[in-house]
Amino acid sequence: MQDVRQRIVEASYACVARRGVAKTTVEDMAREAGMSRATVYRTFPGGRDEVINATVAWATLDFFGKLFERIQGSGDLEEMMERGIMFAHQSIIEHEVLQRVMETEPDKLLPILTVESNRIREGIAAVLAPYLTERGLAPGVDPDDAADFLARMVLSYISAPGRWDLEDPEQVARLVRSELLAGVVVPARPS
Amino acid sequence: MSGATGALRVLGDDKVVAFAPSADATHPDSESPHRVRIIDGTLACLARHGTAKTTVDDIARQSGVSRATVYRAFPGGREEILGAVVDTEVARLFSALGVCLGSAEELSQALVVGIVEASVRLRDHAAIHFLVVHEPGIILGHLAFADSDRLLAIASRFTAPFLARWMTPAEAARVAEWAARIVLSYAVSPSPRTDLCDPSQAARLVHTFMLPGIEALQAAVARPIDITPHRPGLGRSRN
Repeated sequence: MQDVRQRIVEASYACVARRGVAKTTVEDMAREAGMSRATVYRTFPGGRDEVINATVAWATLDFFGKLFERIQGSGDLEEMMERGIMFAHQSIIEHEVLQRVMETEPDKLLPILTVESNRIREGIAAVLAPYLTERGLAPGVDPDDAADFLARMVLSYISAPGRWDLEDPEQVARLVRSELLAGVVVPARPS
Repeated sequence: MSGATGALRVLGDDKVVAFAPSADATHPDSESPHRVRIIDGTLACLARHGTAKTTVDDIARQSGVSRATVYRAFPGGREEILGAVVDTEVARLFSALGVCLGSAEELSQALVVGIVEASVRLRDHAAIHFLVVHEPGIILGHLAFADSDRLLAIASRFTAPFLARWMTPAEAARVAEWAARIVLSYAVSPSPRTDLCDPSQAARLVHTFMLPGIEALQAAVARPIDITPHRPGLGRSRN
C-alpha cells in the first residue's frame, strides 16, 4: 500500500515536471506509474487534487531530508543556520519544477504551499529548538516564541531574500548574527 | 481571473514610490469626482464576491452611480478599476504608516506603531480577507511567496526614510524590510502566541528580537552593502 502511494506520487511529480499541474490528469499519473486509474482512485479517493497535495508534501519532505543531512555536524547554532539557509535558498532557486510551476501556474501551487508552509515552519522550529536550548536563550526569551520567530524569519528569507545575498557567506553570517539571533540567544563569544 | 491577476500586478515599485505620504493619494487626478466612490464600491464588491465574480454592473450598483459614469471615470473598465483599487489601497496603507512613523519619537516606538498599524490594516481588510480564502492564487503570491520580494522592496523603500532618523539609510532599508517580513509572516499565518495587532505584544517582539538585532546590524563591520534586491526568490526567472 505504502509502495503504491509512493509510486503514484513519484509518477505525479514526473508528470507535473513535464507539463505542469493543470494538464496533469489522473490518467497521466496512472499511465506514468504503470497502473490503472482505479488503483489511483482507490489509493487517493480525492483524485487528482489529493495526489497533487501529496506530491507537494512529498517534495517538501524530500527537501527536509536533504536539509537535515546538510546541517549535520555543524559546530554551533550559527554555523547550522548559515548552512541551512544557504542550502535552502539554493535548493529553491535551483528547483526547476518548483520554479517552473511558480512561473506558469502559481495559482495552482500557492494555496497548497501556503498550507504546507505552516508545516514547514513547525519543522524548522523543531530543528532549531535543541540547538537553542544547548546554546542558551537570552534572558527573558521564551523558547517556543524564539523557535517560532526564527522559523518564520528563516522561511521568509529563503523564499524572498530581499536585500540579502544568500549566496554570499559573509552576508549570511551577518544576517544570522543580527536579524536572526541577536535578540534570541546569548552571544557565542562574550564581546 | 487572469485579467484580475494582471490588474493586481499593477502594484509595481515605481507607481508606489510616486505617492508622497502627504499627497491625497485617493485622488490621483481630478478626472472624475466619482473615482473614490467607485473604488470604495469595488472594495465592497471584492469583499463579498472576489475579483472573478465582480462585474462593472456590480461596481456601478454598489457605488450608486451609472455604468456610464463608471466608464467615464475608468475608460479601461474593470481592469483599470482593479488596478486603481490596488494602487489606492497601497497608498492608503503607506499614508497611514507615514503618519504613525512620522510622529514617533524614538526608534522602538516607530517600529511598534508601524507594525501594529500595518498588521491591523491587513487583518481588517475585508477584500484581502475574501481573496485569501476564495481566490488565494491572486493574493498569496504578493503576501507569501513569489512576488513578496517586490512587496518587501516597496514596503522598505517607503518606510525606510522614516527610520533613517535613527540610523544610516542602508541600515534603515534593511530594518524596514525586516519589519515588513515580520508583519507579512504574522499576517499570512497568524500565531496563537503573538498577535501583532496588540501593541503590547508587538512591543514585546520589537524589544526582544528587533532592537538587539538592529544593534548587531549597526555594530557589524560593514563592507559596503548593496542595498538593491538582486537575488531571485520563488517564482522568479533565474537570470
